[in-house]
Amino acid sequence: MRDTSPAAQDLWRASLRMAGTVLASFVILAPLSSLVIWSFTQKWFWPHPFPQEMGLFYWRKVLEGDLFRALHSGFLIAVIVTALTLVLTVPLAYLLARYPIPLKAVILLIFLLPHAFPQLPVFVNATTLLYRANLAAKLSGVVLIHLVGALVYAVWTMTAVFKSIPESLEEAAINLGASRAKTFFSVALPLATPGIVASTLLVFLYSLDEFTGTLLVGSPFVLTLPVYMYRTSVGYELQVASIAALILMLPGIALLVLLERYMKSEYLSMFGRL
Amino acid sequence: MRRSSPRLLSLAIAAPPLAIIIWLFFIPFLSSVHLSFLRDGQWTLRNYYLVWRLYKFDVLYTLGLSVVSLILVIGIAVLLCGYLRIVGHRAVEFLFKVPLFVPFVVVGHGMRVLLAPRGTLNSALAQVGLIDLADPPSIAFGWGGIVVSLVWKNLALAVLLVLGAYRAVDEAFLEAARNVGASTFRQITDILLPMAAPSLVVASAFMFTSMLASFSIPLMIGSGEPPQMLMVDVYYRINYQDDLGTANALGMVSYLLAMGVAGYYLRTITAKAA
Repeated sequence: MRDTSPAAQDLWRASLRMAGTVLASFVILAPLSSLVIWSFTQKWFWPHPFPQEMGLFYWRKVLEGDLFRALHSGFLIAVIVTALTLVLTVPLAYLLARYPIPLKAVILLIFLLPHAFPQLPVFVNATTLLYRANLAAKLSGVVLIHLVGALVYAVWTMTAVFKSIPESLEEAAINLGASRAKTFFSVALPLATPGIVASTLLVFLYSLDEFTGTLLVGSPFVLTLPVYMYRTSVGYELQVASIAALILMLPGIALLVLLERYMKSEYLSMFGRL
Repeated sequence: MRRSSPRLLSLAIAAPPLAIIIWLFFIPFLSSVHLSFLRDGQWTLRNYYLVWRLYKFDVLYTLGLSVVSLILVIGIAVLLCGYLRIVGHRAVEFLFKVPLFVPFVVVGHGMRVLLAPRGTLNSALAQVGLIDLADPPSIAFGWGGIVVSLVWKNLALAVLLVLGAYRAVDEAFLEAARNVGASTFRQITDILLPMAAPSLVVASAFMFTSMLASFSIPLMIGSGEPPQMLMVDVYYRINYQDDLGTANALGMVSYLLAMGVAGYYLRTITAKAA
């Protein structure tokens, strides 16, 4: 392309970019748009290119039944998990970021374990423990198993958040005679709020999307949306599963669109682990 | 601000979250190790013998699929991010962040609907006469579907991490290369890739463990027949055979596989955190 005119080169570049956009859209959106089509399908005989009959029949049916219950309990669990995680980790993260507490390396290592080892076989044994404590197949058991992952995410992101705040601001407050508690609440905490919000959303989404632990601990009584979606999908209730999948995706996509410009990429990268 | 904290207060802050991780991850992990050597109340290596007899191909299958998926993810990410870094393409960059926010179960279901023999992809291809309707090819329900799904999901995280590393490379290096006539491809292979290599290794290590331990994707889009990925084997062994011993021995294999990789990951992360 070296010896063609600049105009032809521009045209060539523009069409390459177009092709790139189309290809990327296809790769990313093909599985997702299949879900949209299936959620509205009422009749679809192979090998027709489009469903013969489309409508809101399954949406209506689904929102009255089990899906709504699954959505409700999943949401409740996510709210409880997020609230507990915040209360438990904000002080700990501050402690880890600022104070030379004993056994710090060991504590950080313990909080890395759930990331370093495959979760499923460990959660199988955790389920046995929860059964012994009479907590399995209950909402409280599912909350506890969600807390394992949630605490790990929250401790690591929030420690990073507190570390990113310059210590000198807190030193200034202390030099002016503020107590440690006051320094934490009126200097460190307000400065850390954006990072804490990002981490909180991450924890909420983690709990909403958690599958492995919920399947093992919650069965057969606690139903959240991912487990419900899995059961309907392998049971070939394709419409129901697709609707559940779309609803399950909504909070994440909304977050992506809303927070893309505010979130630092290191927080964003945590979402890949859901 | 480097002074010792009130010990009781820090203990009170650190104890509850640590207790949850120890109770529901550390102890179950140890009990998993313990149970893998136990059969009918006796210490034995029989569980491992069963793993060797029944699951050696599944171990190879799991490793193979993870290696293939990882190579694809890293290969695509290295080139795509190079293009995004040097030329830039905001729409494509945004699109590749979408999978971060799509839960694994939704990926599994979306790929089932898209790639099944009578899925939306074949239906679309049939319209342009690319496939034979009497004998539609199936990518889903086998290793192909698992690889496609794992690549689709992990590519988002890889793009985020690699692009972050590329963006940290000083523009002056690229400009110098351009001045001596380096193509985009040469700028990627000779400048961006070597300079981003350390973060690439960390990203690969993390993704490899998560692929080895992937559960919901192979559960939903795998063939349902041997060979299976390890986590699915563990789940079936417990659900259908109620055989905790062999399931935990399989778990041990997965811990050992992950450990080599995780050891590296842990070292880099703790080095950064200390």
